[in-house]
Amino acid sequence: MTGVLPPETTPVPPQAQSTRRRHTARWAAVAVLVVAAGLIAVLATRPPADVSEVQSPLVGQQAPPVRGLTVDGKAFALTRPPGTFVVLNFFASWCEPCQTEGPELVRFAFEHQQTGDARLVSVVFDDTTAAARSYQATLGATWPTLADPRGVIALGYGVRAPPSTFLIAPDGRVVAYIVAPVTASDLDGLIARAKATGA
Amino acid sequence: MNGTLGHTGVLLAFAAAVVGTVVLLVALVRPRPGGLRAARIYAPLILLGGVVAVVAMQRALITHDFSLTYVADNNSRSTPLLYSITGMWSALAGSILLWGIILGIYVTAMVWRFRSRADDQLVAWATLVMYVVCAFFFGLMLGPADPFTHVSGAIPTNGLGPNVLLQDNPLVLFHPPMLYLGLVGFTVPFAFAVASLVTGRVDEDWQGETRRWTLFAWTFLTIGIVLGAWWSYQVLGWGGFWAWDPVENASLMPWLVGTAYLHSVMVQQRRGLLRVWNLSLVIATFSLTILGTFLTRSGVIQSVHSFSASSIGPLLLGFFGVVLAVGVGLIAWRGDRLRSPGGIDSPLSREGAFLANNLLFVLFTFVVLLGTVFPLLYEAVNSGAQVAVGAPYFNRLVIPIGLGLLFLMAVAPALPWRKSSADVMRDRLAVPAALGVVVVVGCVIGGIHGIEPLLAFGLGAFAAASAGRALVLSVRGAWRSARGVGASTARAILAGWRGFVGRANGGMVVHIGVVFIAVGLTAATAFGQRGTLVLAHGESGTFAGHTVEFVGTRVVRTPSNISQQALLRIDGGAVFTPAISQFGTGTQAVGTPAIDSSVTSDVYLTINSIPAKGGSWTFGVVVQPLVMWLWVGGALIVVGSILSAVPGRRRRPTDPVSAPLGAVAPPVVPEPELAPAPEREPVGAGEAP
Repeated sequence: MTGVLPPETTPVPPQAQSTRRRHTARWAAVAVLVVAAGLIAVLATRPPADVSEVQSPLVGQQAPPVRGLTVDGKAFALTRPPGTFVVLNFFASWCEPCQTEGPELVRFAFEHQQTGDARLVSVVFDDTTAAARSYQATLGATWPTLADPRGVIALGYGVRAPPSTFLIAPDGRVVAYIVAPVTASDLDGLIARAKATGA
Repeated sequence: MNGTLGHTGVLLAFAAAVVGTVVLLVALVRPRPGGLRAARIYAPLILLGGVVAVVAMQRALITHDFSLTYVADNNSRSTPLLYSITGMWSALAGSILLWGIILGIYVTAMVWRFRSRADDQLVAWATLVMYVVCAFFFGLMLGPADPFTHVSGAIPTNGLGPNVLLQDNPLVLFHPPMLYLGLVGFTVPFAFAVASLVTGRVDEDWQGETRRWTLFAWTFLTIGIVLGAWWSYQVLGWGGFWAWDPVENASLMPWLVGTAYLHSVMVQQRRGLLRVWNLSLVIATFSLTILGTFLTRSGVIQSVHSFSASSIGPLLLGFFGVVLAVGVGLIAWRGDRLRSPGGIDSPLSREGAFLANNLLFVLFTFVVLLGTVFPLLYEAVNSGAQVAVGAPYFNRLVIPIGLGLLFLMAVAPALPWRKSSADVMRDRLAVPAALGVVVVVGCVIGGIHGIEPLLAFGLGAFAAASAGRALVLSVRGAWRSARGVGASTARAILAGWRGFVGRANGGMVVHIGVVFIAVGLTAATAFGQRGTLVLAHGESGTFAGHTVEFVGTRVVRTPSNISQQALLRIDGGAVFTPAISQFGTGTQAVGTPAIDSSVTSDVYLTINSIPAKGGSWTFGVVVQPLVMWLWVGGALIVVGSILSAVPGRRRRPTDPVSAPLGAVAPPVVPEPELAPAPEREPVGAGEAP
């Protein structure tokens, strides 16, 4: 869009009337249209919500504390720094996209159980503890699930809707924030990127 | 009932827009007396339809009519009146309704403003463009963005309520309408740009009109953006005001291009240059508002405040394509014929500075646009791979551009039109530049390091002094020339006031506001500190030189929420109460920060965690200097914009000519009669003998 810049060349020289420059505006307009058509083509072919990673002031900062009682009533606190990658997932049993990503989270947890370089922590968001507990049990989630009944953890992370997922680096910095269903390969990709950039 | 009424309103507005378009087209193709006039009536009909729809929506929200899906999703029985009203712009369909009603107001205002010139082809074409845009937006409400759909099945007894973040601060009543008054307002200049390209008339008269509508829209957009930053600072609890989020960028891009236009249009009015360029800027501004609407409403870009995904995306994208194709196509067709004869004589002139300003603003826009869509482009090229563009990208590229703009702001007001000489520049800039140097030296002595903050403060002082100098000179000039002809003190004061208002000085006040914002932004981002304090009742802790004492706690209940507050005494003075509130239907909590604000520095407190029982609370503390300067700067920009809309001092033929260079009026441009005030040279009449 800002490509309308090219017509700018028109008014500058006093001799702009010369025939050589007569079609500046036309060619500039054609160039803008070609660029814009490309942009529109790209935008039109993007599936909705494909890019799920969003900017947040939290990215790059130290992760806010994650501690409290799990849905089974055990105390849990994420060590700071955690020492491994941590995928922090906010979910609710009533949330349909959460059900989509559930099996992917189980797969991710299973894959990384072997390597030990990443682990999962779930936090219940806007749901009853009982419903969340039975949901996680049905899913087969073996990782800790925090009840967060007052939404304090969610507040620290600025979560507004489930599912929301944060990737925390071993040094405790938040490196990614995703507000859509994640897949195991998405998460692996984000971890690889974080490692590449020196997390 | 509300649903039927609402549908009726939307249908009325849509039908009026479509019929109006057809009637105008027919009248333009086959001219007959009064044909164009007859099409005026459709504008108030569009507005009427919009008003009926808005009344129906507000009635449904206020009476909690959950038979409408929109109300059930965005309202609940415990929602207070204020947030029931704001519910209209809390979600996608309602925000399009707000867009529609504002468009209706603009089209009616435009037709009213030009009622005496309705037979003019140019006005008719502009009205036609407005009608087409109205038809599109009201059409959206008949299709994918219908705010009046009925719930399927039984009517729920209660609704979900608005997003909790949208019922925590009354600013939400003002921020979206202001923003939309700005964004939608750019439709009018766009309509005139298309009309002047179609009719082949690019006379400066129309630029004068377009400039005023643009200034109006630009002012509201500025208010909207500043209020948005303020809201985010007051509500979101991270102590920040700008995050380069796609939604923020979507409102910033039209603002940047609109700002460029407001400067370059002066070159056209004054010298008759840059005509095609100005038309391009106007078309770009409107296209960017539509692109921004698409980006934030289609779900292609996930953003923390994008609307939920909907099928409205392809339609908006298609509309963006049409707008762009029409605008750019017209420029390709007409552009070369409309070019102005002559050019800029010297780069060291006012018009040269405006040109540089325009290039920087367009570059700025391009940087923001690229940062916003780059993740999409990258993903399209490297199928599936994802990339995020964050604050570091924006900061690295935007800071140098911003510093360049500050420099131009300092130099340009002192530059005369056509050309300048080193002597003139030295004369006019010595004091402001010296002030800038003094500020830099003062900052270094005061222990401020870092090249960027020092440059920002120094150039800021330079620019503010330059703008202040222009203001002082024009007031003094008006005063002196009044005294010179023997006016009484009272009359001279009035003359001084007349010298103060008007376009050029309004612009200078805006510049000072921008300097405030630039300085505030630099200080808050470069020298802000954030951390946490863990305190038990009665304890106190220190962070960044401030003592925070945990005095006690309090629970406040309202019908819609329960709020847990902490009482914190800052530096032994006043007590502030950050809170965590839980809203009725969900267990979702929302934090409310408390801010101890002063001219020099803000202490921003949030509750990060409340222990299960007893124990210590964790508080987030953000200390940022000069945050208040942002809001003061925003207010100054508004004051300046209003000033520049007030007609300034009228120059009587007997008055001395303002400055030697003013006499060299370009022969191609007759002084526009419509312009509220002939623009004064920054060296006011006072420097004339």
